[in-house]
Amino acid sequence: MTEPHTCTDYESDMIAAASGEAAPSATARVGRHLEACDGCRDEYMRYRALDTAVAELRATAVAPATDARERLLARLSDLRLRLVRYAVFSTPLGRLLIAATGHGIALVEYVGRRDGSDSWLFRQRRLELEADAPALERFHGELMDYLASRRTRLEWPLDFRFARSDFQRQVLRATTDVPYGAVSSYAGIARDIGRPSAVRAVAGALRHNPVPIVVPCHRIVGSSGALVGYSGSRIGLKEQLLGVEGVSVGHRHREAEIDRSKMYAWYRSERAYCLPTCGAISKQPIGAVTLFASAHEANSLGLAPCGDCRPDLHPLGA
Amino acid sequence: MMHALPLPNAPPDATPSDEFEVIVLTHHRDIHRYLRRMTGRVSEAEDLAQETFLRAYRAFAGLPPDTNHRSWLYTIATNAYRNHLRSERRRKTVHATVRVIRREVELDGPEARALAGEVASVIQTVICRLPLKQRLAFTMRKLEELDYESIGASLDCSAETARAHVFQALRKIRTILDGHATRRARRTS
Repeated sequence: MTEPHTCTDYESDMIAAASGEAAPSATARVGRHLEACDGCRDEYMRYRALDTAVAELRATAVAPATDARERLLARLSDLRLRLVRYAVFSTPLGRLLIAATGHGIALVEYVGRRDGSDSWLFRQRRLELEADAPALERFHGELMDYLASRRTRLEWPLDFRFARSDFQRQVLRATTDVPYGAVSSYAGIARDIGRPSAVRAVAGALRHNPVPIVVPCHRIVGSSGALVGYSGSRIGLKEQLLGVEGVSVGHRHREAEIDRSKMYAWYRSERAYCLPTCGAISKQPIGAVTLFASAHEANSLGLAPCGDCRPDLHPLGA
Repeated sequence: MMHALPLPNAPPDATPSDEFEVIVLTHHRDIHRYLRRMTGRVSEAEDLAQETFLRAYRAFAGLPPDTNHRSWLYTIATNAYRNHLRSERRRKTVHATVRVIRREVELDGPEARALAGEVASVIQTVICRLPLKQRLAFTMRKLEELDYESIGASLDCSAETARAHVFQALRKIRTILDGHATRRARRTS
């Protein structure tokens, strides 16, 4: 680079050099000029003095903000309890709102409006809501994969804080254990949590499941196989979700019910699973037996094919 | 894109909330000092620093993993300060701010001693009179020692423009200091 001609050309480099910001080549250039130019040398010394004064200002002790930091941390922990991130996604089931706290997914809700403003969330006064689609996109993606049968598990961190009672939390946890493509009953869940007579209470707890689909309440039906209900009056969605998992649903007297003739059955006390035609197993209430849409799911639970009816030799739908 | 939530296998104590607490512990002092320099008031600095971190917490979940947290927080703090200026319509009373700074400086003993250098105190006054962008750029560069890329991000301009703001501020301060020195020389002679 050629040397600049006038003092003005050096000014910017000189200011940079005086505060130690100039590149070595520029510093050298300025140095050469200062040797020859008294006016600029004087100017340079002023900028040096200014830089020293600024350094003094920078080093000025500012009272430590420890108290302020403590107050901030208190505000933060309060916000952390109340902050809920949410987003509304379009899915084959309609619009779904997914909401998360710092601990996990706390709400999956069927909503009507694109902005989710008809959600239960917006009626809660203590919450601070933050629309945050990027943070929830991963869950949306996994949900879409599940609905397209590309994924059989949604292993999401869950936060049951919107559950209404400890009893409901127990029910939700027990329901989470019912595997993909399997069907149990309200009575079955009641027995699983050690409250065999609380069948109606279990049904009530699942009707208000805050995280449907992830906590698979659609896999829980009446003991007779009737679908009974889903998220208010959305029984069609229940049928759709069961369909995703390969469970076939028939209709009798205008009522939807599980088609047991197309499902393997497992006596909860046995280690083997059977064809629906094995002995009197088809007369057993669901709950006493768990049904499976595919032998694969039964096998992956560690169950063996029954030695009498041999579901391995005579697979359903073959 | 980083995720807001702990992955299923993450240990429960490694939640992002704790990560954020580390960010507060690391940067609160700097952000508070920066806002203190900008507002000249301890109480306003505390409010704005609080606002900065609460906003940051809300945005933290969607933050790209390679984000420079310090630079990011200065950007939020700068925006918080500028919004504050706008809403309070304090621009017209810059001189009042200058007086406040002097008063508070005098109240805080150690600071007053540190500022005993008359030049530093004059600079302080001059900074308050700079146009907003120059004042922000100068404070971030010369007092908070951020790089020009970060300052540009905070001011929504290029690093080059940020540098130009800082140099413009330096020129002004030098000119005013010059006048100040001349006046003093005249008084003493």
